[in-house]
Amino acid sequence: MNDSVITESTKRFKWVGTRPIRPDGVPKVTGRALYGGDLRMPGMLFGRVLRSPHAHARIKSIDISAAEALPGVKAVITAKDFPDQKFEYIGPERVAQNFWHITRNVMAREKVLYEGHQVAAVAATSASIAEEALRLIKVDYEVLPHVIDVDDAMADDAPLLFEDMITRGVEPAPTKPSNISKRLEFKIGDVDKGFAEADVVIEKEFKTAAVHQGYIEPHACSANFNADGQVELWTSSQGHFQMRALVAQLLGMKIGDIRAYAAEIGGGFGGKTVTYLDPLAVLLSKKSGRPVRLMMSREEVFKGTGPTSGSSMWVKIGVKKDGTITAADGIFKFQAGAFPGSPVMNGCLCSFAPYAIENMRAVGYDVVSNRPKAAAYRAPGSPISAFAVESVLDICAQKIGMDPVQMRLKNAAHIGTPTIFGPKHAHEGYAETLKALQDHPAYKTTLGPNQGRGVASGYWFNGGGESSATIQVNADGTVLVATGSPDIGGSRASMALMAAETLGVDYSTVRAIVADTGSVGYTHVTGGSRVTFASGTAVVNATKSVIKDLCKRAAIIWDVDPEAVIWEDGFAKPAGANVGNFEPLSLKALAAKAAATGGPITSAASVNAGGQAPGFSSQFCDVEVDPETGKVTILRFVAAQDVGRAIHPSYVEGQIQGGVVQGIGWALNEEYIYNSKGQLDNAGFLDYRCPVASDLPMIEALLVEVPNPAHPYGAKGVGEVNICPPMAAIANAIDRAVGVRMPELPMSPPKVRAALDAKAGA
Amino acid sequence: MAAGGHCRVVFTSGFSARYTGGVREFDVEARNLRGVIREMDAKFPGLAETLENETTVAVDGELFEIDFLVPVKDGAEVFFIPKIEGG
Repeated sequence: MNDSVITESTKRFKWVGTRPIRPDGVPKVTGRALYGGDLRMPGMLFGRVLRSPHAHARIKSIDISAAEALPGVKAVITAKDFPDQKFEYIGPERVAQNFWHITRNVMAREKVLYEGHQVAAVAATSASIAEEALRLIKVDYEVLPHVIDVDDAMADDAPLLFEDMITRGVEPAPTKPSNISKRLEFKIGDVDKGFAEADVVIEKEFKTAAVHQGYIEPHACSANFNADGQVELWTSSQGHFQMRALVAQLLGMKIGDIRAYAAEIGGGFGGKTVTYLDPLAVLLSKKSGRPVRLMMSREEVFKGTGPTSGSSMWVKIGVKKDGTITAADGIFKFQAGAFPGSPVMNGCLCSFAPYAIENMRAVGYDVVSNRPKAAAYRAPGSPISAFAVESVLDICAQKIGMDPVQMRLKNAAHIGTPTIFGPKHAHEGYAETLKALQDHPAYKTTLGPNQGRGVASGYWFNGGGESSATIQVNADGTVLVATGSPDIGGSRASMALMAAETLGVDYSTVRAIVADTGSVGYTHVTGGSRVTFASGTAVVNATKSVIKDLCKRAAIIWDVDPEAVIWEDGFAKPAGANVGNFEPLSLKALAAKAAATGGPITSAASVNAGGQAPGFSSQFCDVEVDPETGKVTILRFVAAQDVGRAIHPSYVEGQIQGGVVQGIGWALNEEYIYNSKGQLDNAGFLDYRCPVASDLPMIEALLVEVPNPAHPYGAKGVGEVNICPPMAAIANAIDRAVGVRMPELPMSPPKVRAALDAKAGA
Repeated sequence: MAAGGHCRVVFTSGFSARYTGGVREFDVEARNLRGVIREMDAKFPGLAETLENETTVAVDGELFEIDFLVPVKDGAEVFFIPKIEGG
């Protein structure tokens, strides 16, 4: 066991918890892995998308005749080629999908609502011809006033994106349209009474920038619409089953007529749970009769795909001198982008979730503005509200002179603590992460001038839901594990480890793959930190079915009852001495007898996994602020997270390190810079500054293991909660280093320097 | 269905305002989630579809997607909340 793993359990496993070399590593480092843009098919066409140059404009007309006439152009499509969709919110509020909106995001109809909005697409025999064809499409725009900032979009005189949008969640319903799509409120107790009981009450306003998920691989897909109406779709997405369903709905097709394949994926972080190119590629292929590939440039990714929301927030917290939080209140206004649907509900629900507070309220607003539609990003919504809440908590701790970890421990949620959304917590794990920080030798070290230490925590629900897996035992006893989960965080290794552990066979004999929609049962997206939990449960269930089958086959060979056979350490064995004197049969031996004992050894399992247990993360960082430039250097970053049980600890540590690094970028550098016309001025990685290795120390991941009994091996989701604390941890560290409180992200050098100047001039 | 134990069904204030006349809590006899939903649909016809499509459920705090087979013990709290989705 690695030193980073802090475990409550003494149970030892042979494979779970080990660190074999990743099975997808060699194809990736040798450049052989096939990503969304790598597929080549005979006769394949090159697709390109025409995008809006305007932040907000009415489309008066689109003339594609010149483009269609260009030699080499095989298809041109606009919104007219898509069936319109009914205006209705289908499904739950957080994920309520309104296909009237989605079809307009995929291809603009009456208006363009942001720079980069898709307006038309072409397929041609070469990329250069496709580019030339885009230039020949004539779009007559009536440019309209635009609005970018969330507070500006909520103003009474703001330009309206939808002239008939009435705020949902307000009783009585407003009579005047606005850009506020929805208002939410969650509360327990009496916040006024709680604040009256407090010795110290702190309230503060905050703003966060919209930030992009920053996946390295741009969106890409290839589609082949066959003459018989059957479609093959290769897509870089977090859920090929989901892409299949979206394409079917958007194009009026049957789900069964589409077979989707998960390409290797170069990151998603939530941003590849939505579709942009897939329906265009299918439609272009249908119209041209040829396979079509579409791939975005980095500029298109920035201008045309969802970042997470920017926000404007207000948080108020009251504490007693002994550190008890008596009340907490927050208003969270999130940018949804051009269409309703920010993660503000999650922001509200997660805001105070780590804490036992009797009196809480969270009010959320979902607000549209002329930016790309917000998409999920790692624990969507939670990091945003955590920045405000954890910053105010730190101010409270300083006011009462209490250690910030101790204050959080005093108020930590435990089993039975009510949440703001109603149910009581059912799992521990938070306090354990705080104790891991307290016990870390670096937590008590002394820092130098202009250096400070900041602490923050975060909460994320984690996901369960529908997953499927199949197991095949090959003739030589090797094993194939197939799931429907695109592998983004190392799931192939985790699935193989769990199957090997359950079967009691060597890990090297088990190979895991991601199967297409025609080869395995429905599986929900790789998102919500759900795959190791839900798909892992399906794999273990399928493996147990195989074991049952293997015992039956051994019983046939031994001519005994199946109940007289047990499976142990990879062998079928007699359950007791009275069964008979039989030599144990290995998986390999039974596989060799497959034909004689009933045919191929296979099994399938599907689950709707529940009881997933939430994720808690607590982190501290040490920073140094350069008073001359305002630059913040991260000196140390320690991230403790309750992971349930780490199936492959290296991947888990990688998830934690990745989440923290993305949080550092969100904290210090990343932002969208719009010019006066509402056009993005930094649509590239040179100007949109993600952290690189030279910006960072080694992120120290502490794996706290409080196993989840609802998972066969105790796993909890690990992919998301790690991005919740870094922004506040860094803000708190800056404050403790140089005495300035940064209420706005990013805390870039000019802003820190301005805050230092303001402090000096005060 | 066979009778089970009694559980306490709870809705958020927003949900209850929309669907159950503002009443947030109900005592229901059921042995699994199917029984809970069936009983609530009997009280508010059509509510079953809404619960199945729009909610996640917490049974004594444990989160589940709607799955009829989720067992409900005697005395359990069955809390329907808006569905949650991650990144």
